[in-house]
Amino acid sequence: MSPRARGILATLAALALAPGALAVLRAMPAFGDHPLPYGDAVNRIAPAERIVSNMVTAVNFDLRGFDTLGEEVMLLAAVVGTVVVLRGSRGEGVGDRPATCGDRPIPPRSEAVVLLCRIIAPLTLLYGLYVVLHAQLTPGGGFQGGAIIGSGLLLVWVGEGYNAWRRLVPGVVLHALEGGGAGLYALMGFGAMLTGAAFLTNVLPLGEWGSILSGGVIPVVNFGVGLAVSGAFGMLFLEFLEETREPKDGEEP
Amino acid sequence: MSALPWLVALWLFAIGFYGMMTSRHYVHLIGCLSVMQSGTYVLLLAAGFRWGAGPPIFSDHPPGTPAVDPVVQALVLTDIVVGAAVTALLLALALQLHKRRGTLDPEELKPMRR
Repeated sequence: MSPRARGILATLAALALAPGALAVLRAMPAFGDHPLPYGDAVNRIAPAERIVSNMVTAVNFDLRGFDTLGEEVMLLAAVVGTVVVLRGSRGEGVGDRPATCGDRPIPPRSEAVVLLCRIIAPLTLLYGLYVVLHAQLTPGGGFQGGAIIGSGLLLVWVGEGYNAWRRLVPGVVLHALEGGGAGLYALMGFGAMLTGAAFLTNVLPLGEWGSILSGGVIPVVNFGVGLAVSGAFGMLFLEFLEETREPKDGEEP
Repeated sequence: MSALPWLVALWLFAIGFYGMMTSRHYVHLIGCLSVMQSGTYVLLLAAGFRWGAGPPIFSDHPPGTPAVDPVVQALVLTDIVVGAAVTALLLALALQLHKRRGTLDPEELKPMRR
C-alpha cells in the first residue's frame, strides 16, 4: 500500500470512528466530580486493615497482589526476550574489551563529568533504595525505586566507562537480582500457602503505623519487586551497551 | 473546562496514531506508540481525580481525609512498567532488523521488493 492510499484509508477510518469518540466524550462523567466506589473502599479499609499509609502500594502489593505478580513475570519475560533478541548468536560471552564504534576515536572523558558522576551516582543509588524501602509509607515503591536504581547504574557507566562498569556491576549479579526478586515475590505467595491460607495472603505481623516494617508481606514483596526491576534495567543497559561494541574476529554481531 | 482531560487523552492517542500511520522509521514508530500510551495514563488519572481531595497517601494527613482514587493510580503504574518493557523489546527488535537489512524504513522492508 502506498503512503497515499494508507493516508486516505486512515482518514476514512478516523472519520468513521469520530462520531463514536465524540459520543463517548460527551457521555464521560463530569471531571473530578463523580463517585469512585473502589477507591473510596480502599481508602476506607486499607489503612486500618493493613497498617500502611500509601494506598497505591496497598492496592499493588496486597489487594491486587496477584495481578502484580503477573506484571512482574511480564517484565521478566520482556527482559528475557530483549536479551535473547540482542544476544542473537553472540552467546553468553561478554568481553572486557573496550567499547569501540568502527574507526571512530574515543575521546577521553572530561574530569568534570567523572567528578559529577562520582558524586551523583551513589546518591542516586541511595535515593532509589530509600524509595524502594519506604513503599508503604510515602510515594514510591519497588517499581519506581528500581527504575531510579537503574538510572544510578547508568550514571556509573557515564562516569567510569564501559570496562569499569562491567567490573563494578557483574552481569551475574544483575541476573541474580532479576530472577531472585521475582522468585522472592512468588515464594512469599507460596509461603502463605504453607500456613494454610490462600496464595499471597498477608500472613506476617502487620507492625506499627508508620514503621518501615509495617504492612506484613507488603515490604517483602515490594523489596522483591525493587530487586527485580533494578536487575531488569541493569540487564537491559548491559545488553544495549554490548551492542555498541565491535564484534571480535569470527564473532557474530 | 471539565472536558479538557478527556480531550487531552484523546488528542495524545490521536496524534500518536497519526504518527504511526505516517511513520517512515521504526524508532519513530516506537516513540509514537509511547505517545499513544501516554493518552491512557491521562485518561486513567483523570478518571480517578476528585476536586478538593489529596493524594491517597496518608502519611502527612490522617486516614479518612478525602483522597483521589488509588486503584487507577496503581493501574497507571502497571501501564508504565508494561510500556517500558515493551519499548525495550521493540527497540531490541529494531536494532536486530537494522543489522540484518540495513534500514528501518517500513517501505524499504517489504518482503516482495527485495
